[in-house]
Amino acid sequence: MNVQFKKGVLDLCVLSMLKESDQYGYELANTLSEIIQISDGTVYPILRKLATDGMVTTYLQESQSGPPRKYYRLTGLGKKTLVGLQQEWLAFSKSVNQIVGGDVQ
Amino acid sequence: MTREEYISALKNALRALPEPDITDIAQDFEEHFSIGLSQGKTEHEIAAELGDPTIVAGTYFEESLEDIGHTMKESAAHTAAAAAASSSANRAAIVSSGTSSAYSTDGSSGTTQAAAPVKDLSGARLFVILLNVLVTWWAALTIYCTLLSFWCVSLSLMAGGIAAFAGLSAASGQWTAVLVLSGIAGVMMAAATGILNYFLSKWTVIGSKAYINWNKKLYNKGF
Repeated sequence: MNVQFKKGVLDLCVLSMLKESDQYGYELANTLSEIIQISDGTVYPILRKLATDGMVTTYLQESQSGPPRKYYRLTGLGKKTLVGLQQEWLAFSKSVNQIVGGDVQ
Repeated sequence: MTREEYISALKNALRALPEPDITDIAQDFEEHFSIGLSQGKTEHEIAAELGDPTIVAGTYFEESLEDIGHTMKESAAHTAAAAAASSSANRAAIVSSGTSSAYSTDGSSGTTQAAAPVKDLSGARLFVILLNVLVTWWAALTIYCTLLSFWCVSLSLMAGGIAAFAGLSAASGQWTAVLVLSGIAGVMMAAATGILNYFLSKWTVIGSKAYINWNKKLYNKGF
């Protein structure tokens, strides 16, 4: 799929995935790369940006298998931003669908 | 690519960032490798899934550029669109080159224009010009002249009717009836053709406007 398409919505995807439960980077990268065919490495810059912007916080947690994992959790700001982005996305994708579907000249 | 090769390539591509940031980012990827290995993947597999380390590193610069874009938006709301455009142009440059030098050159200039595909309009413009010179000009001339002559007919009918009434004072006997009848007929026919002409004119104006708009659109935006 077109790379430029994905870029704009990756923030939204990551925030949405963190809505239900805290997740660690590997988990997020794996799920995202399976669903929208991005390289796993793309997820970390996004997570870092989201952390810088105060959308997520991180904490380390031990695991039974392997090293401790850095978990990401949505902040209040992150939740609020997610709601806004979701609405924007729904409206935007609807408009684009209209144009692509040929309803608009 | 082994884990070690991957991390060092990543660090190398990130070298323009502050040292603590590089360590932090490298730590994330170390963790990713460790988890992948504990799930039975090989280092090569994990490296392949992560994607080219230079491109991944470029994405970190891209994110910081986006911040620059946001700052520009905040400082000058009017140039918001321009900021976004230049930010995305820079982003494209970094993604394609994936080097930190691209960041410094494009980032400092900040005036890179978004390379929007330029549509070739020459065909559409030539079509508009030829259409107007060869067809529309003559068609429009015919239509407007016809309309003008219709109005002339209405006016002369009206004039004839009025003249007939004006002549009443000088007429006598049977001529009075003839003049009254032709006067009424003239005015009635003038009114009827006038109404018809009014609508014909209105439609012509509407049609002309639509045609001009269509020409404008074709000329400026192409087919």
